[in-house]
Amino acid sequence: MSDLTNLSVTEAVDAFAKGEATAEAMVRASLARIDAHDGKVNSVIRLDRDAAIEAAAAQDKARAAGAKPGPLSGVPMMNKDMYYRAGKVSTCGSKIRKDFRPTVTATVLQKLDAAGAIDMGTLNMAEFAQNPTGHNGHFGDCHNPWDLAYCTGGSSSGSGAGVAARFFAAALGSDTGGSIRLPATICGVTGIKGTMTRVSRAGVMPLSFSMDNVGPLTRTARDAARIMTVISGKDPLDPTSAPEEVPDYEAALTGDIRGLSIAVPKEWFFDGADDVVVKGFEAALGVLKARGAKVDYVSCPSLHAVGTYVTVVSRVEAAAIHAQWMREHPGDYAIHLSGRLYAGYAIPGHYYVETLSRRGPLLRQFCKEAFAGHDIVATPTLRTRVPTLAETDIDASPDNWARHMVVSANTRPFNYLGIPTVSVPCGFDDRGLPMGLQLSARPFAEGRALQVADAYQRDTDWHARVPAL
Amino acid sequence: MPTDPVPQMMEAIRLWSGVTSPNQAAQRGLADLAALIAEFEAVRGTLVFEDEPSSFEAALREEAEKRA
Repeated sequence: MSDLTNLSVTEAVDAFAKGEATAEAMVRASLARIDAHDGKVNSVIRLDRDAAIEAAAAQDKARAAGAKPGPLSGVPMMNKDMYYRAGKVSTCGSKIRKDFRPTVTATVLQKLDAAGAIDMGTLNMAEFAQNPTGHNGHFGDCHNPWDLAYCTGGSSSGSGAGVAARFFAAALGSDTGGSIRLPATICGVTGIKGTMTRVSRAGVMPLSFSMDNVGPLTRTARDAARIMTVISGKDPLDPTSAPEEVPDYEAALTGDIRGLSIAVPKEWFFDGADDVVVKGFEAALGVLKARGAKVDYVSCPSLHAVGTYVTVVSRVEAAAIHAQWMREHPGDYAIHLSGRLYAGYAIPGHYYVETLSRRGPLLRQFCKEAFAGHDIVATPTLRTRVPTLAETDIDASPDNWARHMVVSANTRPFNYLGIPTVSVPCGFDDRGLPMGLQLSARPFAEGRALQVADAYQRDTDWHARVPAL
Repeated sequence: MPTDPVPQMMEAIRLWSGVTSPNQAAQRGLADLAALIAEFEAVRGTLVFEDEPSSFEAALREEAEKRA
């Protein structure tokens, strides 16, 4: 087999199961590619080289002894540095937690381990997952593999950049306002956040209790489906996790979307959008129509209220979570983060209560507006072209804050609404940076969103393109 | 003459939360809250007296896609 780093998750599992590639060979190929190129990209925080090789060799030995492969057997993975593994440092991208060693292991890591994934270490991220560009002054900014001057999107910067660079086949990110979907679209890979509460958050760094989601960044929708099937479901260690049965999401990937109806909201998502993004989005809709889907533009007035409320939840909850550190050593945060947290203390309690109180009614209203007669809501994931790192460096200039808010403008609403949302690559802008198509479905219909994403990828090759490093 | 609200907000934060301004960017962030206040003004009156936070999880289940 030629280049093992080019294998997707499902291809790697198949190669392992058929004996065409060993887990150790796949891990060694990943490590070699990281060694060769991560000096430029800066996606890795901690590389567990020896442990990964050892774990891979153990899987090869078990397979040789006749053990049945798991759904992720032999797949090299790395994860955002906020998933706790007992005894291992989890920095959360911060100076404050640079030596933090949790005593528990995240449920999602345990599930990935049990499925056979090889955990090679941890990835760069925005400090405490709190910016949408991936800037990080403590560990150095992560760079976009398509052009190192551009941001990766955040907060799961290393997850997006590393998957795009073919350092590993998949990575966990987290998504509170777009932190999976933004690095996915900006780095040209696939990412999904499930329905709010669909995946356990036990052993995961919190940012916002009400809006945090765990999910994968992968090359393909099929890979995302595979991993979501593994990690979703009720967890006794996370009382907020949903008890709904988890289907086999891959089973929904038939390629057949004939008769499915797609709604495109007229409001919000195109305000100030760049022409090249709109054209790319419309071309993507054309692909779906050619596959037999119907597309309608619909009015969703609820989005204005959603857009107002969504920022309050995470800002107030983050301010509460960080209060003790903000009292004791605020200087250990990046300037932009301590500034953002500080403003959270000025937001009155009744704003927060109003925001949470309106969440259920607004979800119902949005579903009535968007999903009545429709299966999917489609939008661009990012309404502008990808910005450079310099254009969005808010530690250098607070004036760049407005650009940050624009970066996450199209992703934030779906965190407030809590509905499953996938981003898939849908082309490149006029500067050669990726663009993304965002597909949302009704609550607990992750399979529906993935079905359409997979159908799109059957007729396009954006997700298969590899950046030259 | 309008009063600059930022010093008042800083004092309120110190009083209620024990947190002091870490830098100039933080004070800029307070000033930017004027936009949030304006956005809330625009949606005033939409909160219904009986609305309660616990309705969100129920809404997720009610709005789930019905299986064929």
